Amino acid sequence: MKALLLAWKNVLRNRRRSLVTILIAAVGCAAILVASGFALHTYEMLIEGAVHEYGHITLAHPDFFDREEDSPLQFGVIGHEALMTRLAFDNRVVDILPRVSFSGLISNGDKSLVFLGTGADLLRESQNRGQFFGLVSGSIRIPADKKEGNIYALVGAALARSLGARPGDSLTLLATTTSGSLNAMDVEVSGLVSTGWEELDKRLVYIDVALAQRLLMTDRVSTLSVYLKKLKDVEGFRADLLATAPGLALRTWQQQAFYYLSVKSLYNRIFGLLGLIIAALVLFSVINTLAMAVVERTREIGTLRALGTYPAEIVAQFMREGFLIGLSGVILGNLLTGAIIWSLPYFALEMPPPPGRSEGYPLLVSASLPLYVVTNLLIILLCVGAAWAVSRRAARNPIVEALGHV
Amino acid sequence: MTNLPSKPSVAQLPALHLRRVAKQYQMGGEKILALKSIDLEVPPRAFVAIRGPSGSGKSTLLNICGLIDHFDAGSYQLGDTDVGQLDERARTGIRRFRIGFIFQGYNLVPVMSVYDNVEYPLFLLGIGERERKARVRDMLAQVGLDAFANRLPDQLSGGQRQRVAIARALVKAPPLVVADEPTANLDTATAKQIIELMKNLGARFGSTFLIATHDERMVVHCDQVRHMVDGVLQ
Ligand SMILES: Nc1ncnc2c1ncn2[C@@H]1O[C@H](COP(=O)(O)OP(=O)(O)OP(=O)(O)O)[C@@H](O)[C@H]1O
Ligand SMILES: [Mg+2]
Repeated sequence: MKALLLAWKNVLRNRRRSLVTILIAAVGCAAILVASGFALHTYEMLIEGAVHEYGHITLAHPDFFDREEDSPLQFGVIGHEALMTRLAFDNRVVDILPRVSFSGLISNGDKSLVFLGTGADLLRESQNRGQFFGLVSGSIRIPADKKEGNIYALVGAALARSLGARPGDSLTLLATTTSGSLNAMDVEVSGLVSTGWEELDKRLVYIDVALAQRLLMTDRVSTLSVYLKKLKDVEGFRADLLATAPGLALRTWQQQAFYYLSVKSLYNRIFGLLGLIIAALVLFSVINTLAMAVVERTREIGTLRALGTYPAEIVAQFMREGFLIGLSGVILGNLLTGAIIWSLPYFALEMPPPPGRSEGYPLLVSASLPLYVVTNLLIILLCVGAAWAVSRRAARNPIVEALGHV
Repeated sequence: MTNLPSKPSVAQLPALHLRRVAKQYQMGGEKILALKSIDLEVPPRAFVAIRGPSGSGKSTLLNICGLIDHFDAGSYQLGDTDVGQLDERARTGIRRFRIGFIFQGYNLVPVMSVYDNVEYPLFLLGIGERERKARVRDMLAQVGLDAFANRLPDQLSGGQRQRVAIARALVKAPPLVVADEPTANLDTATAKQIIELMKNLGARFGSTFLIATHDERMVVHCDQVRHMVDGVLQ
């Protein structure tokens, strides 16, 4: 305790210099925490988005993920209702959503465009996907009778713009059936949706899954998306499925979330490099401060050595000083981070849209205990290590030389 | 309370015994023979002064006796220990337990109070808090600084600082105290007090004093005065 007190007095010896170093450590600490907190928040958002989009686990025909279909729903799931009923009993499951993927032409009478359609249970989709469903105007409407009456569709905002269509307008879908003939269907636009991806929004059409099956003249579905209660159930549930549904191919959300994975690897590299640069800055600053202190105290080191202090004890003293600088920096840095995180929502800062996307997202940062522990330890360790490095030689210099130093 | 249990066998030996000790410095291509075959035998508890002109080798000799410098030839026995055989770690250990230093420039640690400066050597010896406190208090009383325990060194006069240094050197009652020009920075009256203080406390703590000095007045207090000229002890 007395040794730490002495170390603190030594830190305060050159107040301004130490303060600058502590501030650099603090700002470095905060920069790392805020930047990685931002990356973390982005990951969480992307995970959430991916999970909402694909479900935690996607079930499909064994060839669905690896081979191109020669005709629509060639690799579709047969008898999905039975499977859905069976899986619904598992209490880890929130919902199971069948989807039919198809494509064709969409027309307003004057102009035809290619669309990528999804037949899905739109109400349950919007419940499970929440804000990620991206309804921008209009509403989701389900025909009371799926065999007769009006057929409603949700259309990508960009696609609707190209066709000059608004909710309430009528459009025609043209698609190839599973047997290879052409089939057409008139739909009423009930709402406009946006995924945040401009390229997707130019092609997007959602209709009810039963209507999609009717258009394609099939009773198959392309995939079943299983939504679980907890992210951490994914592995266990996947293992169970492999045993209970052997005839199907499985993909977890991670295997499908290419965008998440590529953003993560990009951000990891960017923020890793940033962290490295900040760490180097802190290291150099601390080395500089302590090296000056060591030189200034050469005579004192010589005196202490003459009194019978071992070099290791001298080094330990400087390491305690490094530790205190690091600790002060980290404490200040965490306070600073807290202040930044706390005040961010008040500024409502928007990040520009990431590459390929059409929408920005709010600049928010997440906090994670392991991140804080690792960052704080790292900075303290850097300071202690710097102290060790700069005092090691000086503590072993010839004593007479050190005593003669002015 | 500050009596050091002295082994009888060590007490009979000379406190230090140098035989044909030589030391040379290398200055560029030139060799300077700073010490030429020094023979010196100092009995325990003696108060010995080394006098001589500037550059004669007094400091070099004291540094060797205090184990903060190495010699090139000869042998040096400190009490029962042949110093020439020791590695750096053992030499540090000997300084820690058996040697006190008083410097011309006081060399107190500026961030430590008077009390802490005097306590430091006891820390190194691993002495417990209560005994440390008693011994530091006693020592400060002996040098007349009990009222200054909480001051920092730069709040003291030169004479007071040197008293603190004396207290720091003697608090562990070392067999040997090495003092290189301890009064050179002090005015005449203060220097006289410091000399007397060292002499008295040396006797009380049973320490052998080896002092390099220009000071004439030192002579009357000394058991032995040796003259050094050009690296030779006369
Ligand atoms: N580090 C060194 N390198 C080279 N020569 C040295 C060194 N230290 C001392 N000397 C030389 O050794 C000789 C003895 O020096 P020393 O310091 O022992 O003398 P001194 O008697 O203590 O002198 P002073 O009374 O001025 O303190 C001198 O000639 C000095 O120049
Ligand atoms: Mg000298």
